[in-house]
Amino acid sequence: MRSDYDAIIIGGGHNGLTLGSYLARSGLDVVVLERRHEEGGGLCTEELTLPGFLHNVHANYHTFVDLAPPVTDLEVRSHGVEYVRPEVQMASIYDDGTALVVHRELDRTCESIARFSEEDAETFRRLNTEAHGYVDLLLGTLMYQPPMSVKELTKALAMFGVEGRSEFLGVKLRRETINQFLDQHFTHPKVKAHLAFHGAVCGYTNDVPGLAIGFPLLIGKIDNWHICVGGSHRLAHGLWRDLAQHGGTLISDAEVDHIVVEDGRAVGVTLASGEELSARKLVASTLDVEQTFLRLIDPDAVPAELRTRVANDVKHKDWTLFSVHLAMSAAPEYAAAEFDPDVNRAWVVNLGYASTDDLDAEWQRIRRGELPDPRPNAAVNSLYDPTDAPPGHFTGLLRQFAPFSLAGTGPGGWEQAARWYGHRCIEAWRRYAPNLTDDVILDWAPFTPLEISQKMVNMVGGDWMMGEISLDNMLDQRPLPELGQYRTPVDGLYMAGSTQHPHGYITFGPAYNALQIIAEDIGLAPWWRKI
Amino acid sequence: MADIYSPSWYDAVRDTINSKVADISDVPDGGFTVAVDIQGDGASPYFPAGGARHFLIRIDDGRCEWYREMDSTEAGTFDHDEPLDYRFIGPATVFDDIAAGLRDPIDAALGGQVKVRGDMRFLMRQAEHVQVLLEAYTNGVSTDWPQGRPPYGPNGSESAGA
Repeated sequence: MRSDYDAIIIGGGHNGLTLGSYLARSGLDVVVLERRHEEGGGLCTEELTLPGFLHNVHANYHTFVDLAPPVTDLEVRSHGVEYVRPEVQMASIYDDGTALVVHRELDRTCESIARFSEEDAETFRRLNTEAHGYVDLLLGTLMYQPPMSVKELTKALAMFGVEGRSEFLGVKLRRETINQFLDQHFTHPKVKAHLAFHGAVCGYTNDVPGLAIGFPLLIGKIDNWHICVGGSHRLAHGLWRDLAQHGGTLISDAEVDHIVVEDGRAVGVTLASGEELSARKLVASTLDVEQTFLRLIDPDAVPAELRTRVANDVKHKDWTLFSVHLAMSAAPEYAAAEFDPDVNRAWVVNLGYASTDDLDAEWQRIRRGELPDPRPNAAVNSLYDPTDAPPGHFTGLLRQFAPFSLAGTGPGGWEQAARWYGHRCIEAWRRYAPNLTDDVILDWAPFTPLEISQKMVNMVGGDWMMGEISLDNMLDQRPLPELGQYRTPVDGLYMAGSTQHPHGYITFGPAYNALQIIAEDIGLAPWWRKI
Repeated sequence: MADIYSPSWYDAVRDTINSKVADISDVPDGGFTVAVDIQGDGASPYFPAGGARHFLIRIDDGRCEWYREMDSTEAGTFDHDEPLDYRFIGPATVFDDIAAGLRDPIDAALGGQVKVRGDMRFLMRQAEHVQVLLEAYTNGVSTDWPQGRPPYGPNGSESAGA
């Protein structure tokens, strides 16, 4: 193995690969080090059940396709990556047999909402139209730039008079919950529940103060959910190909033991195997801050106060995801199809949350460590990507909001709970889709919050967003103010993973933004800035 | 009075910017270069349908130092003598409306009618100065509309006259 590079990137998830590709395209000699046997991190696709059934173990929803600059800058589609944007994006099915369906086409979504409330349908039309107008501008301002402070943003919004120009944006949103936003603008509980559910699956919990400020942006991409054809890992593989084609190197099974710091500067890493790699220009960590500052760096190399704050003050999400992956011989046929046949074509279906109160009660139970009565959301990728299952067959993915640490038994309790709770989730799905009998479900496998934290060790406590989504953990405050601009107290060491602004999900944002800072520090010409 | 989009009109816009900048308290140091791509949309009589005009504007220490029109070849590249900091792109009728004071430029950006590319942090941090630039374009100069004044009807045929 070669031992010296310009840039060493720790972690081969989509952020590590993305940063690696940009730097390699900029002429740097780059190595990306991945602990696991393959690249991708959360972009992990495996045959968890039966041969030929490709299950996205973690990341399933690609909502920033064609919004995130790296998708075009790194030409990911030229590397065998193909996306499909389902015609029927998402639905909510309620216990009374009714259903609300979000389509790619706004008119059809509004028709569905109007069956519950014509007023809400018109409000949604205005909100969606307004949000589509500024989604590019706001994403460019808020997600794909190193972050400004909330104070700066608030001042600018006031100066430009945004509040007076927009029906839905406003400075006051920084104090409000998504529930409050929905109560102000919408009337029907089911409509509000569906929109709150959409926020939750994007990581924005509807009862957390301040998150209303991001909600219009979430609506701006409510119809931009994509499937990565052949499994989410295809994206990781495409990014790797781009890295390799531009001279970069990915080394798997390469766990970093520690970051070498000399005279206050990161100059390389030592692998668990004992090999040493040196970095002429930079080391970038896409790992969680706990590993980076408490495990990988000698305590003397960083201020003691930072170590204390990393240990005590880094905030994580207070709920996570329990998954059930299924191999099926038929697609679900929902009873609610009598109300709206399009539910059978919906890629993702929310089962049963009929009001924001339902969701709020769920969060309360989960925060107490209790397992909710399952009301999972169900995704059937094969409806739109037949390549992920054998001909005539379907993969299914149930996701249930859940605690990481179970009351009484802690995270380890999931080892006992996995099968029976998975079974309960399947039973819950079957109540809405009675055709999913035992004969149809050929096999299934649970994937617990504990397994999230074991397989994707960055996701501390099963924290799939790698940091709480709250106003005081956003923008330049994420994950701590002193780390909020991707630089660290160690010269030449950068943070470029989802602990950073904007957050987890397949956004590419942390890597893209860290790139801007790195480019500034080491004098790279920003070829990617296509103005 | 100057004809819209004529050199004398742009000179007037520039002079207005520079006179107003003197009145603001927080003039940003340094400079930035802006490209403006105005695309003919078949409604504005000032731009052929499918055609476009492109302008390059240089702002230094808050003042408009110079501007010039670019040909489409130059406008399509990113390799200017000065690195480009921002690009504004939109249909001619939108720019016409803004110049006529019929459409607010912030509304146009928020509504996606004018696309803005570049590092928005600087613009956000210099909101007061940006307002001066926009006001100069919107209401700052007296404008003649020799081929009709917006709003335009379909295909520009229902021009309200100059």
